[in-house]
Amino acid sequence: MGLADAGDRQKGEQMTDWNDPEWFARTFQVWDETFDARRPQPDYVSVFAAGEPVRPIPGMSIVGSRMGVDAVALHADQFTASGVIEMGNVRPLIPISIDGPEHAVYRRLLEPLFAPTKMDALVPLMVARMNELIDEVVDDGRCDYVASIAARFPSYIFLGMLGMPLGDFDDLVDMKDGIMHPHRTTSDPVEIVQIQAAAAQRIYDYYDAALDDRSRSPKDDLLTELLHVGIDGRSLVREEALDICFNLMMAGLDTVTGALGCCMAYVAQHPEHRRQIVDDPSIVPDAVEELMRWESPVNGIFRRAATDGELLGCPVRRGDAVNATLGAANIDPIEFPDPFTVDFSRRPNRHLAFGKGMHRCLGSHLARRQLRVALAEWHARIPEYEMVPGQTLVYGSPTRMVEHLELQWAV
Amino acid sequence: VDRPTLLLTTAAERCSGHARCNALAPELFELDERGYTALPACVAVPADLEAAARLGADSCPERVFELRIVPPHEGEI
Repeated sequence: MGLADAGDRQKGEQMTDWNDPEWFARTFQVWDETFDARRPQPDYVSVFAAGEPVRPIPGMSIVGSRMGVDAVALHADQFTASGVIEMGNVRPLIPISIDGPEHAVYRRLLEPLFAPTKMDALVPLMVARMNELIDEVVDDGRCDYVASIAARFPSYIFLGMLGMPLGDFDDLVDMKDGIMHPHRTTSDPVEIVQIQAAAAQRIYDYYDAALDDRSRSPKDDLLTELLHVGIDGRSLVREEALDICFNLMMAGLDTVTGALGCCMAYVAQHPEHRRQIVDDPSIVPDAVEELMRWESPVNGIFRRAATDGELLGCPVRRGDAVNATLGAANIDPIEFPDPFTVDFSRRPNRHLAFGKGMHRCLGSHLARRQLRVALAEWHARIPEYEMVPGQTLVYGSPTRMVEHLELQWAV
Repeated sequence: VDRPTLLLTTAAERCSGHARCNALAPELFELDERGYTALPACVAVPADLEAAARLGADSCPERVFELRIVPPHEGEI
């Protein structure tokens, strides 16, 4: 064994330390360096050109085909979500960081609360909120779509579902950014952990107080439902309800903000696609599916190998980071003819932008409706618009979020 | 007139609740209260729903559904 190999092995052992608190952040960083979030599709092709899994560093395996996603997402016993997400939470998030029979129980409990028909009932609220947001900018002839619409809409809907006042918006964003984006404030790993821990405590306290309120005076909202749902013949204990709320906040805000920004950035840069939506709004649901396939705003799922074993024939060791690149699977030519063509009439469109298997995005039906409402209402009211010339779009990762999207239109 | 029957088989254990089938062909692909497929393991598709069956079955990211054409009189002597 050469020196380089010994060094690699050392790094590998360090990388796969199950208890290393920086493991999650480092995995994200490597991810970020592997794919250019601004235009990741060519990177997906080149990174996986020589086959998969790809190992950018020892102890981390990335797959990027339909088959590879299946190998990870459909084998939760081998590739666990347990302990993967560390954002200041003091207990595992429910249900995203739970596996096995316990996970199935939580999902059975939560799925009726996020089922398609249940989310259909929220559409009138979404339409109203979106039009209020458009009202604020329509006469200006220009806006930063991210700041004015994409960053606010999902939080307003979320607060509405929880039965919390819209005035909590700033607090909500502050708490969410504390767990999700501590790097915007500092690059010091110790400070990052401190910021996340402080924000997490605020989140627990916020929902704890709200749940106290609902147990005193029940309302017609999600928090009240969490107090009354049954699990194996018992109610949720408070910590379980808090871990669910934390999960919803982590999973339901930035993801939709990112998706809205990605989708609108695409349409703003492709007038022929914009024209299709304007001419025939009935294509919006299919357009959303195709934009989600192409943009794959959540472009990867993060897992850990629970045992020594193999992934697509290659060895993995217990503790290894295992990542499935949804965005790459969504341009897999075996599944998608002409994958680099964004075709709003593509059918079938079995994209995996909301993941696959037992951890399939619980909020997918909520997100889809928000995206449909956002695209339909905007194009009904501001059909002719363009990107303000000269701007360079900056995308975050691993949730692909465009930071600013300046649009302009004639008034 | 004798015509082939279209059978729709459902591997419900693979369903993870994407609900794409119901989004595209709600007239055939019913869901339960969780948003998972409520179809039985095997149904004969009525002739007027064959296009809906293909559309819904093809839409599933988990490949829950299979369509099989059974010729007329199969199994009869």
